[in-house]
Amino acid sequence: MQLTKTIRLRLLLLWGVLSVSLFSTNTYAQTRKITGTVIEQKTSDPLPGASVTVKNEKRFAVTDASGKFTIEATTGDIVVVTMLGFQTTEVVVGTGNTVKVKLVEKPSHLLNEVVVNVGYGTVKKQDVTGAVSSIKGEDLRSTQPTTFEQALQGKVAGVVVQQTSGQPGGGVSVQIRGVQSISGGSPLYVIDGVFYGGAITTPASMGAGTNPMAGINPSDIESIDILKDASATAIYGSQATNGVVVITTKRGKGAIPSISYEMYTGYQQLPSKVQVMNLKEFATFINERNNKGAGWGFDARPEFVNPEYLGEGTDWQDALFSNAPMSNHSLSVSGNEGRTSYFFSGSHFKQVGIATGSSFKRTSFRLNLDNKTTSWLKVGTSLQFVHMNDNVGTSSGNVIHTALSQTPDIPIKNADGSWGGAYNRNGWVNSTVNPFAVATINVDKVNRNQIFDNTYAEIIFSRNWTLRNEFNASFSMANQERFNPSYTFGTVVNNNNGGAFGYSQTLNTVFRNYLTYARVFRNKYNVNIMGGHEAILDQSESSSGSRSNFPTNNAVGIDGGDPTTARTGSSKGHTAVESYFGRLNFGINEKYLFTANLRGDGSSRFVRGNRWVATYSGAFAWRIKNEKFLKSVKSVNDLKLRLGYGLTNNQGISATAYTTTLSTVPTGLTGIAQSLDNVPNSKVKWETTKASNIGLEGTFFNWRANFSIDLYDKTTDGLLLQLPLPMYSGAAVGWSPGALIAPFVNIGSINNKGIDLNIGFTAVKTKKFNWRTEANMSHNINEVLKLNTDGASLNGWPVSRTVVGRSIGEFYGYKVDGGVYANIKELQEHARPAKNGDILPYGPNGGSIWLGDLKFKDKNGDGIIDEDDQYFLGSPRPKFQLGLNNTFSYKNFNLNVFFTSNIGNKVFNSMRVQGEWPGTSFGYLKTLNNFAKIEMIDPNGSPTDPANLHVINPETRVVSLRNDNTNGNTRTSDSYVEDGSFLKCKTINFSYTLPTKLIEKAHINSLRLYASVSNAFIITKYSGLDPEIGSWDPLTAGVDGGFYPQPRVFTFGANIKLTK
Amino acid sequence: MNSIIKAITSSLLALLLLASCSKDFLDRPPLSKVNAETFYQTPQDLRLATAALYAGNLWGDWNQNCMLPVGDILSGNFIVGWWGDAAQLNTFSVTNTNGIMISNWSSLYKIIARCNGTINNIKRKTPSTVPDSTKNGAIAEARFIRGFAYYNLALLWGAVPIIEDTEELITKPLVNRFKTEDVYRFAINDLMFAARHLKARDEKGRLTTWSAQGMLSKVYLTRAGLNSQSQGMRDQAFLDSAKFYAGNVIKKSGLKLLPNYADLFKTQFNDNEESLFALQWSPITSGWLEGNMLMVYSPDAKISPRGEAGWSSMLPSIDLYNQYEQADTFRRKATIMLKGDHYPELDAANGGFTWNGDCILKKHIVGNEKDNNAPTMTRTSSPEHNALLRLADVYLIYAEATLGNNSSTSDPEAVEYFNMVRRRAFFKDPYATDPDSKEYDVTSITEDMLIKERRVELAAEGHYWNDLVRLAYYNSPKAIQILSHGGGSSAASKRVSFTYDNKTKTAKAAEPNGDIVEPTIGSFTFPIPAQEVTANPKLLEPAVSYY
Repeated sequence: MQLTKTIRLRLLLLWGVLSVSLFSTNTYAQTRKITGTVIEQKTSDPLPGASVTVKNEKRFAVTDASGKFTIEATTGDIVVVTMLGFQTTEVVVGTGNTVKVKLVEKPSHLLNEVVVNVGYGTVKKQDVTGAVSSIKGEDLRSTQPTTFEQALQGKVAGVVVQQTSGQPGGGVSVQIRGVQSISGGSPLYVIDGVFYGGAITTPASMGAGTNPMAGINPSDIESIDILKDASATAIYGSQATNGVVVITTKRGKGAIPSISYEMYTGYQQLPSKVQVMNLKEFATFINERNNKGAGWGFDARPEFVNPEYLGEGTDWQDALFSNAPMSNHSLSVSGNEGRTSYFFSGSHFKQVGIATGSSFKRTSFRLNLDNKTTSWLKVGTSLQFVHMNDNVGTSSGNVIHTALSQTPDIPIKNADGSWGGAYNRNGWVNSTVNPFAVATINVDKVNRNQIFDNTYAEIIFSRNWTLRNEFNASFSMANQERFNPSYTFGTVVNNNNGGAFGYSQTLNTVFRNYLTYARVFRNKYNVNIMGGHEAILDQSESSSGSRSNFPTNNAVGIDGGDPTTARTGSSKGHTAVESYFGRLNFGINEKYLFTANLRGDGSSRFVRGNRWVATYSGAFAWRIKNEKFLKSVKSVNDLKLRLGYGLTNNQGISATAYTTTLSTVPTGLTGIAQSLDNVPNSKVKWETTKASNIGLEGTFFNWRANFSIDLYDKTTDGLLLQLPLPMYSGAAVGWSPGALIAPFVNIGSINNKGIDLNIGFTAVKTKKFNWRTEANMSHNINEVLKLNTDGASLNGWPVSRTVVGRSIGEFYGYKVDGGVYANIKELQEHARPAKNGDILPYGPNGGSIWLGDLKFKDKNGDGIIDEDDQYFLGSPRPKFQLGLNNTFSYKNFNLNVFFTSNIGNKVFNSMRVQGEWPGTSFGYLKTLNNFAKIEMIDPNGSPTDPANLHVINPETRVVSLRNDNTNGNTRTSDSYVEDGSFLKCKTINFSYTLPTKLIEKAHINSLRLYASVSNAFIITKYSGLDPEIGSWDPLTAGVDGGFYPQPRVFTFGANIKLTK
Repeated sequence: MNSIIKAITSSLLALLLLASCSKDFLDRPPLSKVNAETFYQTPQDLRLATAALYAGNLWGDWNQNCMLPVGDILSGNFIVGWWGDAAQLNTFSVTNTNGIMISNWSSLYKIIARCNGTINNIKRKTPSTVPDSTKNGAIAEARFIRGFAYYNLALLWGAVPIIEDTEELITKPLVNRFKTEDVYRFAINDLMFAARHLKARDEKGRLTTWSAQGMLSKVYLTRAGLNSQSQGMRDQAFLDSAKFYAGNVIKKSGLKLLPNYADLFKTQFNDNEESLFALQWSPITSGWLEGNMLMVYSPDAKISPRGEAGWSSMLPSIDLYNQYEQADTFRRKATIMLKGDHYPELDAANGGFTWNGDCILKKHIVGNEKDNNAPTMTRTSSPEHNALLRLADVYLIYAEATLGNNSSTSDPEAVEYFNMVRRRAFFKDPYATDPDSKEYDVTSITEDMLIKERRVELAAEGHYWNDLVRLAYYNSPKAIQILSHGGGSSAASKRVSFTYDNKTKTAKAAEPNGDIVEPTIGSFTFPIPAQEVTANPKLLEPAVSYY
């Protein structure tokens, strides 16, 4: 007891937020005191902590340790007793002064009776007609995710979650049921009615690799509903094409206030390293290249004369990566005081990145309030404030790429304490910066503040009519502070320091009103009709400033820089969407359920005439279990068939794609100039997706086993895409100085077919031991049906190509034919590359093909290697995605092991293009040691006569040491395309829940301790750091160019819940 | 609940529900930028629009990766060793994935796209209240620059796509290549329009009709030899046109050669009277490939902005060095630095700069920010308005057009213009009648003399490769010989840098950077970038006619 008090006191002090007494007692006249006892029906044990109210009155009591309560009531009043895990029971007050209430435990399948948020309303899980997957908050948190999307990985069939960067709080790309839109591919997130993400409401974000969604604290999440098919998403209309993730945060419930504290702390490590040459190997290689490499002979490095005396040199990965801590503390208070329920939480999350120069911090507060003001009015709010700090120096400096590029002969620091760097201007010494120094001294910090608020008022006109008015305001700001000091890394010198400051903010406001009519006719027909209007205005502003030439490298703030070097910039933008929507739910006998959605959206992104679009859907569900023939079958607890069809629309293009804008630029002529920004397309229209879904789900054997299977077929027409035209257009997607911004066009059609499967089974269920297995599997086939590009392909240069009949963004290039040209016969007979149609000669001189050059497959057999000999080399998208979750519990011990797997996806390992090319002056991969070795057949013969030479390792795919690349050895080929399939042990979590008896006297409701490992191990053939490579751009997905890997995390944590 | 309150509230809310937003809720024009629908309304707007075509990011890539790498490295005037793509140019082993050639292709088309957008917007959006002459004058500026870009495309790739309206590519992105002669004709049409509609005088740095006529003379001269390989004779009609337009510029423009050759490349003399077309760089535009990045070749921190030396060095070839006559020191010194050369105007605050290395590029190395009175300049934003066409070039074009298909000419005008260029080089008054100034005059001109004079006069300005291509059109053996076997030596002996002993004033050839391939006729046409052919396989088809 004393101990608990101490803990509680500490917690209170620690958080300093809970000094308020949460109780007040109200008494009313004209009533009398009723005392009662609440007991468990079977055991007759008293039940403490049950909430007791008088129906339609404010009065309210809680049972004490012996199950007793006292409340004011009059005869005829109805006393309602509720308690978590028990069925709500009502008792009419008679003439006596005591009542006895027996509570019946809820059947286990109803314990977690799921209410699904389907948008603008909720329905019970069994009444859902569309393809909706739901996850409970606690399941989500089992992997200790930094951001909530990370936690979705492997949990839901049909949802592909990939991190676009493993940096703390880094971006995550989420695809629901394949890529159906090449632009704006992320789903819409709706958090307590606040739109977040989607086409028009992305919060302000700055800095490389940051995640705009990182503001949501996973601890606050009660449940997530993922609307996957059109029949479910259509109610969200124009933003719903990529699926909708509806997030419901915790709200106050239960009469007893509860205080919950969750914490974990842990440390993270780099799971694996890329094998690079150490100094000894590097020096040996450089010598070999200099001595034996044809056309070299100018790169002698005197310091490498005796490689055997050289040590390991610098391991830049060791330098850059280190074990790093992370921790999370969340405290929440929730309860329900008669008319008002409340949930208040605060949390602090801190993660230092495993790579130097990266970290993430988040402090968030949430207040969810619901007040039943009168019998006809309910008001409430969901309010969140978040403050985040990102350190993105690692990503902005592309430090991981640089670390793998730097050579082992460069020290991190010199003996005198100065930073190491290239020391030799002569010879082939690259001037790569010191990556560790860059990550350490450069400042690149992002601060973000976000406020999300959804305030509602619900008016209950009658039993059937309800009007809900909502006003959402999401305000977000981000600022980025950068400072690049001057430095000297050996011969790599930067004399100029510079600082920059950027600020951006968005304000998104939504007015939403909808009227719901709900009624059951003749106890048989269940009708629910909803109609409403919504107006969204999104406003954004940004400004930036920079200066250079600071007097010191310790400058803070850009004001310290030379005023004559000052630069400023700003921008402002706005978009708007207006919508009308309606839904009809109609159920007959709880057997046949119909849903119809209709929505009209107008968007400011299109010119008048193309502005408005209609979204619709229909769905039917048949609850087979409620048919007579199944009613009596005990082994089947539930069985439901679902059919759905719908059309949704997408507007994911830039706000002013229909017109040309001009930027003011400086010129050497007098004054300024107005420079064209983009190629406009005023004909651009909405993208539409038609989707059908058929699903079957059921529960069997006393709720021990369950499954759901869904088949879907979706076709998107008028695909919106920023068109990557050939270079002769002068337009480009992405960074390309001087190019016009490529136009947005309706490019074609794409189809996604697939299957989502979930199975769960409680294999063992005894009093002490339980074992439950849950598995999900999804399979998606993506096919481009049409491209309105005159037969052209879409190229994600240099690695991918998108054509009709294949999936989006498949890798495209040459195939290596076995290995290298190994002898004269192969030089003569095997196809060689051509230039302007003429086959290139072979020979040792430059401009010719030589032994040790890669042989590429002559696809069309015309004897030359040219553009026509390219193949499709696989897709970056997994063919199958699997999740497997096993939970074992023995008494109070619980073990959870969770695996995820991707099968059949390819990764383009871009790091190898450079690291396995003998011609670069960068760091080398160990695999480069297997370069093609040319030997003379007759040692006394000619060293240049191909008849006297052969390659002793002809199967190698690493070329010989020759200073010529006429053969184009580094062209995109299957050499760099690797199998990205993996099986990852995502989490192992072991926990112990303290026995209730031990803690209940201390008024601790529950106390759970756990230890866990995330990303415990991975089984993969991929040679890079991590095969999970996410990308925002489907045309260039799966390219590993120095990817920040996901760390392995060891954590220890505790969850404590206190009541009263 | 009070039923009146309920009724009022519910009807109010029902009204709110039914009320749509105001009609223009969905009209959201760009807020922080000018947009094309409301721009191009006044003569001033048109001037602002065309001003953007003279420099900035549309030219940055070309100026950095193409002008010197192709014009002077590929042609063997200079060597850049440690830059893989430039090394390919040096060794003649250029492939269709060469980054420099990809930059060249894409940057010329970027320039074209900007010009197309400007031309079409002015045509479609400018109201009739703006006089036609103003409209045509603005269009003429854009068409000159577009013509310049197509001329360069024709020189390097021959048959290429011709794009006039970028927006048409949205629906029809796959285009054919058009015949080389049609690309030249397209460039000539653009320049003819420009010659007709540009003013004779304009704001400093802006194009004039003389710019267009000078450029026309050059394009006609190049066009004259096209497809003449078999007969070895250039088309006389085109030669006459070249002479006509060059003559116009020389005689009617009133422009004069700048008396001091070295001044041409000083920022104090930006847009001097000799400059016909110069890029209008601003020292503020310092983004990567957005400004004039030629200072990256600066060899020393003292003569670089903000004390940062360049990161790349361009070394003159021994072959270029050997072209300079003994007395041609002023021109040489303004083009390349040799050991011991002193430049008082560089790092002037510290008494000038002396070069102690072997040999290195001088042209475009304009010194530090104090030398140029340009505090914002950086390595990537040199304030030098480097000229792409200047009067001396036109003088030599006049001489070459006059020479035409003859083995030599003594045409007095041609010889005089040729000599004026030479006199200035030797630091004599080009316009003087004083006999002393005529010390280095010649009395007749041959093709060899012209090639050599152009090579040294215009070295490090991106012209020499174009001259060789022009020659290769009608006499490829000679073009190949110049690159390779001149004086019985191989290409490998010419395309190397040298060490210089300033005591004995002797140069000693250095080792080549890799294997230098002997040029062939095929070396004069580049393969279309691989990614472009992959994107549009029609580019592999035979070229079709545009006209």
